[in-house]
Amino acid sequence: MKCEEVETKMIDYLDNNLDEGIRQEIEKHLETCERCLDELRDSQQVLNLISKNEMVKPDDSLRINFYHMLHSQIKKSEESNATSSRKPVTPWYNLNRFRIAAGIALLICGTFIGMLIRAGFNNTYASNELKQLHSEVSDLKKAAMFTMLKEESSSDRIQAVSYANDLDNPDEKIIEVLIKTLNYDKNVNVRMAAAYALSKFADKQAVCDSLVKSLTIQNDPILQVTLINILAERKVKSALKPIQEIIANRRTLKEVRAVAENSLRVLI
Amino acid sequence: MADIPDEVIMQHVKDGKLAEMSVLFERYHIRLYNFFLKLTRNRDISQDLTQNLFYRMIKYKNSYKNELSVKSWMYKMARNLHVDYCREEKRSEELFLKTDSYPVDLTNDNSGFPEEDYERLEYAFSALSAEQKEIIVLSRYQGLKYEEISLIINQSVPAIKVAMHRAIKRLRGIYFKQI
Repeated sequence: MKCEEVETKMIDYLDNNLDEGIRQEIEKHLETCERCLDELRDSQQVLNLISKNEMVKPDDSLRINFYHMLHSQIKKSEESNATSSRKPVTPWYNLNRFRIAAGIALLICGTFIGMLIRAGFNNTYASNELKQLHSEVSDLKKAAMFTMLKEESSSDRIQAVSYANDLDNPDEKIIEVLIKTLNYDKNVNVRMAAAYALSKFADKQAVCDSLVKSLTIQNDPILQVTLINILAERKVKSALKPIQEIIANRRTLKEVRAVAENSLRVLI
Repeated sequence: MADIPDEVIMQHVKDGKLAEMSVLFERYHIRLYNFFLKLTRNRDISQDLTQNLFYRMIKYKNSYKNELSVKSWMYKMARNLHVDYCREEKRSEELFLKTDSYPVDLTNDNSGFPEEDYERLEYAFSALSAEQKEIIVLSRYQGLKYEEISLIINQSVPAIKVAMHRAIKRLRGIYFKQI
């Protein structure tokens, strides 16, 4: 075998990728050719150095940003499904959403007219009316949420969950229904949306506790990862124990375990 | 979920279960981040490119056809993103500045090799052409098989072997010249 031929086969030789016959021919050549032997050693050293390279871990922000992006894409796609596929099937006046919107519109008109009439008599009264109006609108949103969560289509249920995002101060009942959705909805996209809606209220101890509790019962890897991310992002110390249990559980998916282990760095 | 192949997950994503993209993210984001990191030598840019890659996978999910493995498809997209990024950089003439500046924290300790060896290797690597860097990253740093690389960069396996041989020859030449 000639030097050029040995040279072109050098990497395959070092990777142990050659048939026995060719291998022996190369070794025979190397016994007599110092130049090729030197080159082989140099290549080997460089390749060894490369193979010792370890992957660098990205910042946690990459994962956090990914999950935010994924969540908004899910919402967007469910919304566009709702507008493209439902219109021809259901007459507009039968849509719950429409009925509720019409309800809100009527209420606003009615109250506004009432307000205008009364404003003539008493100015301070008007600002109270506004407050009341605000609370009535949010009552309607709550009502819409409860109705739409019972809908068959997952996009309606995601829409319902997203109403919760507009509420500044959700009551216990709202939180409860969101948690129920997070734990038991049959569609993974809806469960994930519920997790994100709840994460907005994670400064409330009760919400925080229920997210931690949900982590102990979720066995869907996607929800496990979502919850771990939410809890780690907010540095919720009480999540430590369930996360360690997930790591210890032999049935945990390795991708989930990696996320869980990563979160420990923040939590410990 | 542990044993579900990438292709099945991708099919679910195409069917509208976008949430399952998180499985692919958890499987591949570190590798892809490192793919970008070796080529750009910049952490922030690599994070952005990785994020962008997963965004594109969702946006163009329907362009995934079963003739490629999901993995090859991802690398193909990653490669295009990197090419686009280089083009933009060239336009803003920052490329020269960036390749000359040296981030020092990309090497690892505890591997038995002295730090200077890695720095020398990094230096030698940075002197290679874009194509040579790419082929070394895909084959040696990312550990892809020649057959996989062939699908990603649309070249035959023998052509890749020749290019690989030249790239390593050049790399070791520069590496040992520094001693």
